[in-house]
Amino acid sequence: MIWIEILSKHREVAGRFRVDATEISIGRGYDNHVILDDPYVAARHVRIFRDADGRLVAEDLGSANGLYLDRSRSRKPQLVLDGVQPIRIGQTLLRIRDAAHAVEPERLVGSERSALPVVAAIGLGAALLAINAITVWFAQTSEAHLSDYLVPSLTMVGVVAAWVGIWALLARLFSGRSQVLRHLLIAEAGLTAFCIYSEFAQIAAFALTWAAVFTYGYVVSWTVIAATCFLHLRAVGRTHLVAKGVVVGVLLVVAIAVQTLQRSEAFANSGRPNVSHVLMPPSLRLVPLRQEQFFFDSVAALKAKLDADRAELKAPGVER
Amino acid sequence: MTQDVGGRRRVAGVRLGRGFVRTVSALLWRGVIVAALGAIGITGVPSGASAQSLAGADTVYASAPPRLLQIRTLLADAGRQTSTGSGFLVSADGLAITNYHVVSDAALEPKTYRLEYTGADGTQGGVTLLAVDLPNDLALVRVDKHDAPFFTFDKAALEGSLPKGERLYSLGNPLDLGFTIIEGTYNGLVEHSYNDHIHFTGALNPGMSGGPAVNAQGQVVGVNVATRRGGQLISFLVPARFAAALLIRGKDIRPEAADLRKDVVAQLASWRGALYKSLAEEGFHDRVFGSYQAPETHAAWFECWASTNASASPKPRASINSTSCKADASVYVASDLNTGTVEINHSYAKSIDLNQFQFATVLTQLAQPRLTLGGTFRKWYTPQHCHEDFVGIAPPADHPPLRVLWCAQGYREFDGLYDVAVVAVTQDRADEALVSRLNLQAIAYDDALRLGRSFLERLQVAR
Repeated sequence: MIWIEILSKHREVAGRFRVDATEISIGRGYDNHVILDDPYVAARHVRIFRDADGRLVAEDLGSANGLYLDRSRSRKPQLVLDGVQPIRIGQTLLRIRDAAHAVEPERLVGSERSALPVVAAIGLGAALLAINAITVWFAQTSEAHLSDYLVPSLTMVGVVAAWVGIWALLARLFSGRSQVLRHLLIAEAGLTAFCIYSEFAQIAAFALTWAAVFTYGYVVSWTVIAATCFLHLRAVGRTHLVAKGVVVGVLLVVAIAVQTLQRSEAFANSGRPNVSHVLMPPSLRLVPLRQEQFFFDSVAALKAKLDADRAELKAPGVER
Repeated sequence: MTQDVGGRRRVAGVRLGRGFVRTVSALLWRGVIVAALGAIGITGVPSGASAQSLAGADTVYASAPPRLLQIRTLLADAGRQTSTGSGFLVSADGLAITNYHVVSDAALEPKTYRLEYTGADGTQGGVTLLAVDLPNDLALVRVDKHDAPFFTFDKAALEGSLPKGERLYSLGNPLDLGFTIIEGTYNGLVEHSYNDHIHFTGALNPGMSGGPAVNAQGQVVGVNVATRRGGQLISFLVPARFAAALLIRGKDIRPEAADLRKDVVAQLASWRGALYKSLAEEGFHDRVFGSYQAPETHAAWFECWASTNASASPKPRASINSTSCKADASVYVASDLNTGTVEINHSYAKSIDLNQFQFATVLTQLAQPRLTLGGTFRKWYTPQHCHEDFVGIAPPADHPPLRVLWCAQGYREFDGLYDVAVVAVTQDRADEALVSRLNLQAIAYDDALRLGRSFLERLQVAR
């Protein structure tokens, strides 16, 4: 007894035929055991039989388009079948299995959905809301209003829900499973990374006087968004990972380049760097105090930059 | 905040030459303004005795037309006026005084603009720029008019011994409506001003810039220059002695030899140098703010205002008491550039029921650099550069640790001039801090370094 399985593009079983003959023929014609409605398949395309060792073998019956193993591009007159890798004829994927093909052991009900992801999703969500609330609280310098806390939190919840919803819908469309929890985890992890970085940038800009972490924060933001999107795409389907990675990478580079351009143009137009100078409690300072002389040497060095800018900006209109 | 309060009270002076005239000239355009009155006084000045008996606006005006001018800036190509001001003859061979801001377009862009005059007696002709006095907003021109009567300067005004309340008559052509005479009173020099200005109580209007303000004898006491928006009849004159000095300095200049653009830049730089030198020499005194003491200037040309948020509603959660000392020593450089303000500002903030982070947010808002622009960035300034660091000044017992932000921008056209903003925040306590700010416009970088250093060194723990 042999089972012939027709697979979809996503390798799911689209049709399954049981054949009891010792030799099975497959093709578009009605004199076959299994009929395929694929115009790229010959009337009699391939036959399946057992060889001397009892292995199942597929043999091309002289078709124009030939017989291939899975994604391989090399045409084979004959293939020994292992029941795992499908064969390809025309545009159809077929998997041939013997009745004795071993299947995986039975899974226990409930073991698939461990409590960990649920706990992680709840934990990350709570952490995000907490970070959000703390940020609002620290920026609160006058009367506190409940809406100051509620509006950003609800906005965040709404945005995350919409984002996860879109990815779950895509996953449902393309792989049949929505995997809401997985997408929620990915989105929360991305958002957490973003929040942690922006807090870190603020603190580092003050405590370590690293202005650059703040200035180039947008690069990190885009990178986090790109990584999150890649993880979402991976969760939708594990095929074509390289292609997905390349697409996300290209979009990331484009986004960063466009924003860098836009910033440099805004700077050229206004002369104002897009930086806010953030102060934190003095106890967070991590670097030693500078000597007065050292500070004034650094400040004096700005003059050279200003003069270089002036020389550059003046250059076109010299003839005046 | 301090700046707001101060800003509301000290409304900026408005120059009289342009702006309004420029925007409204389409409605008011009349081509040629014909003086209604004929010339009476042929000689320069009526004698003192006879003038006394003639005192009155009509008699003062009677002799004015042949010596009173409207000075118009025209687009060289189109031949149409873009702004108008006034002026007056000061010599028989056609030398005349007006405001720098009346002729600045022609001084800075001689290829685009040219000047013409229309006399109150109906004469017209070309105007050649000879010299400018940028700090005092004056210009000396030569008009194409010979053997005409001219104005002389009042001796008492040159010596500065004019009594308050003396009746003055200001002449000019407001809003291009026609020549007018305005009565007003002399009220001495304006206080808290680096440049000397006469406080004239009279209704000056745009277009009268550069016109003379004369006494009852028709002798020049000052030159119309500005009015104050929001004030009632508060107007300003440039004292006659600056015009007399400019006349002596510039009367022999050959116009073709003058590179006015270069001269404007040089005058701006040397005037700013003198101003900052005087600021350093006047020195500072220390003023106590909570646990700190901070420098305030001795210079009388600063105007200081205090402000507090104590009465704010809802009740503030950090008390902020500020003092702001500002010298409005800004000068008109071009129609789109006014610069030169100097400001020293201290805000003492103390937390009432804020935690450390919330208090730091308050300080963040107080400590932004605020480098202001006196004109458009694209035309006049270079990009801003900042340096920020923690600074410890020795000995640590006297000086609190500071977080200092130093931002600077340059002027594209003026080599050696910069705007500098220094902000220092004390870092020794989590619930109180002094945010001190020094804003220096149009300053040489070395002067800024020197002033900035002494400013930071004077931020101390109160003894």
